[in-house]
Amino acid sequence: MSKSYFDETHCAIGHPKSTFMQWMLTVDHKRIGLMYAAVMFTFFFIAVATALAMRFELFAPGAQYMDGDTFNQAFTLHGVIMVFLFIIPGIPAVFGNIVMPLMIGAKDVSFPRLNWFTFWLYIVGCIVALSSLFNFSDGAFNFADTGWTFYAPYSLNTGTNVITTLVAAFILGMASILTGLNFLVTIHRLRAPGMDFFKMPLFVWGIYATAWIQLLATPVVGITLILAILEKFFGIGIFDPSKGGDPVLFQHLFWIYSHPAVYLMILPAFGIMSEIIPVFSRREVFGYRTIALSSASIAGIGYLVWGHHLYTSGMSDLAKTIFSFLTFFVAVPTGVKFYDWVATMYKGKIVLSTPMLWALGTMVTFAIGGLTGVTIAMVGVDIHLQDTYYTVAHFHYAILGGVVFLLFAGMHYWFPLITGKMYNETHAKIAFWLNFIGFNVLWFPMFIAGYLGMPRRYFDYLPEFQIYHQISFWGAIIFITGLAYMFYVLIQGWRKGESAGVNPWRATTLEWHLPTSPPPLENHTKVPYVDFNPYEYHHGEPVVKFDENMKRID
Amino acid sequence: MDTNTNVNYKSEYAGYWKVLVGLLVLTAVTFVQPGMFLTDYTFAAQLIIGAIKAWMILMYYMHLKGEKLIGAMGVFSLFLVAVFFIIVIIDVNNFQFGDVSHITSPAK
Amino acid sequence: MSHEYVPEIAVDREGKEHEVQGWQDDTYGGKLGFWLFMFTEVMMFGAMFLILTYYFSLHHQDFINASASLNRVLGGVNTVVLLFSALTMGLGLLKMRSGDVKGAKLMIWATILLAIVFLGIKAVEWTAEYQHGVFLGLEALQAGNEFSKPFGEILFFGMYFTMTGLHGFHIIIGIGIMLWLLKRINAGKVTPHHHILHFNIALYWDLVHLIWVFVFPYFYMIGAGDIAGVVNGH
Repeated sequence: MSKSYFDETHCAIGHPKSTFMQWMLTVDHKRIGLMYAAVMFTFFFIAVATALAMRFELFAPGAQYMDGDTFNQAFTLHGVIMVFLFIIPGIPAVFGNIVMPLMIGAKDVSFPRLNWFTFWLYIVGCIVALSSLFNFSDGAFNFADTGWTFYAPYSLNTGTNVITTLVAAFILGMASILTGLNFLVTIHRLRAPGMDFFKMPLFVWGIYATAWIQLLATPVVGITLILAILEKFFGIGIFDPSKGGDPVLFQHLFWIYSHPAVYLMILPAFGIMSEIIPVFSRREVFGYRTIALSSASIAGIGYLVWGHHLYTSGMSDLAKTIFSFLTFFVAVPTGVKFYDWVATMYKGKIVLSTPMLWALGTMVTFAIGGLTGVTIAMVGVDIHLQDTYYTVAHFHYAILGGVVFLLFAGMHYWFPLITGKMYNETHAKIAFWLNFIGFNVLWFPMFIAGYLGMPRRYFDYLPEFQIYHQISFWGAIIFITGLAYMFYVLIQGWRKGESAGVNPWRATTLEWHLPTSPPPLENHTKVPYVDFNPYEYHHGEPVVKFDENMKRID
Repeated sequence: MDTNTNVNYKSEYAGYWKVLVGLLVLTAVTFVQPGMFLTDYTFAAQLIIGAIKAWMILMYYMHLKGEKLIGAMGVFSLFLVAVFFIIVIIDVNNFQFGDVSHITSPAK
Repeated sequence: MSHEYVPEIAVDREGKEHEVQGWQDDTYGGKLGFWLFMFTEVMMFGAMFLILTYYFSLHHQDFINASASLNRVLGGVNTVVLLFSALTMGLGLLKMRSGDVKGAKLMIWATILLAIVFLGIKAVEWTAEYQHGVFLGLEALQAGNEFSKPFGEILFFGMYFTMTGLHGFHIIIGIGIMLWLLKRINAGKVTPHHHILHFNIALYWDLVHLIWVFVFPYFYMIGAGDIAGVVNGH
């Protein structure tokens, strides 16, 4: 057996003997990606549990298990964990780290030690976030109750632990910036010889566009959070109307980051989709350049649409109109991608393996999430629907049904690459169907409830909405069962699965041309010369083949 | 890469001093400007002087001259900041409730 | 990293050899990465200038009044101090690149000294303002008491202390990394052949200067309606 990256590693400091310290100090991008995944999914399940607790509370009108204040803290906890701890590091931190350097034929990211530092910065952020949870006052939880958006002036006045949560969000933002910086330099500098930008796999394009958002949008929210912290300590007045500050300015600055942040989440997810669709259709991707450039233009336009969160906050009518138009424009490159994916599948030899199932399921759920997004981009409709369950359902269809589903798709797709094992296909497919059905049962009724006027963030509601909440509840049960089952299948696959071989999916991109499975410490034996497109199939067979020294032999 | 040792100190350091003199002159201009010229547009004049100084620092002290990729990235960042400014300015200039707003006129 | 790093060679189908860029010894990559970091600073201060401009447009006269009360002499001296420190930093890098390690170290020490002078002047300035009752958290900058300043001045001073404070924080960080740089030079890790760390720290110092180039006129000069104000300061 040759050694894989599980057996040996490079460390940031010294050469520790113990396996544990080797993991803690590792600079290997694959190990760091795995550790991100472990921490992120731990928090994911904490946030899922919080959401389930809220579903229990909402099963019937009136207070059952928690009072209004606790409910406020619960949805804030859910939002903060899901957004800042889970989905913003998200796909870039896991697959950007593990797969992106492999895809471009690099030995590691450009700054491996910075990558190690970034991971620990992320951990520090997580600890600070949790510490605000366990700072009790009067024997009760005292987590922030502002919602994950920390809107001023409420966040400036509430007595809960907003400061630590703000600090945590700032630290996590720094980690996100450094991740993006590292990836940008990596993609610019470490591509294998011959691989120009239009020979990169589309996932790398997604990571590239994302990295620009991480780099340039995050500092804006960082400084906003700092100003909010200073406001709480010194009362500098910037966002406090009693001192002449403008709370709407807080919303502007917050969404200047946080709207691009949703593209930061979805772009690498689209990248995963663009990897899976051609591989499981055994066909060259349709419109490679349009997919690549649409990633870039989504990132670009994404900077200009933040104001659609402020339609009812007191913005000028002209600005609302401008933002509404700009928001429609984002749908165009997204639509281009969808048509490209469908066109790729047309006349392809479609293989319905689990990753492909997840990708196809996402096309359904994200289409619903995306199109409902266009409806609430309209100013008139949004004034009716904002702050209702309609918006909640839209967000979760887009982010859970889009980003997280594609994250799961990527987990199934790259599972044999990362672990060298294969999970049980049948069980993984059952898990998919449980998730897919549970997801739709959970969220679709919320569109109707929201349309009829069920406001979001309320722990109580009128009896007429009970039926929707109860359907949602049962959907949540199915969905969580599916999640647990999926992770069970994957863990079992890792422990007991059969060896997968280096290229089980007959894929074409470089990460499937490694010498061993799981990959060795320094990736490819030799760096190949790339004079081919990423997805070359001929009659359903990959065109490009390498010998053991990464020389082309086809 | 530019890890060469062929840099000749004697032939290069004069450039640094020249830029310094330029910056000092501009700083002096900063101080006399409010009383000498463009007195009604102090803010604009100050920012223009600042921009010239910034350009000199970027080009000569930070060696941005000839760096195409980094220069383009910098222009992109500044463009984004400009867009943020423009959109917020449009919003503020067309705000229709300014007259009844608490923060635009002091409460007392 | 290790100086003996030998780049790998990739061979294409025609047998031509292509040098592979590794993450080791990637001077341009290091420079690019540091520039990207500086763009994040640009975005951060850009957002603060956006806030400042917004409130300046709302409270024009208050801002001018508040600005007129700042000490322009000390601010101007600090500007010149920073100017010279940028020069010493640049010359230090030049000396390093031309092989004069000792001269480079001397220049870094000079930069550190000037940075400390800057902070000292800043401290004098803030102390004077504190004694005038103008400081973060003091009553004059809070709402609804008898000392309360008008909205515009509260916001002006709020941003003034935040931004010059953040700039001062960058100076402190700068002193720290310059001391670290000296340690690395002494340890032989930064040499005329391998000076990317020195190069990036010089870039950082220029960035700190660059921020001041805009912070200074925005706070100190917008209220300088006459020459007398320049001479008299407060």
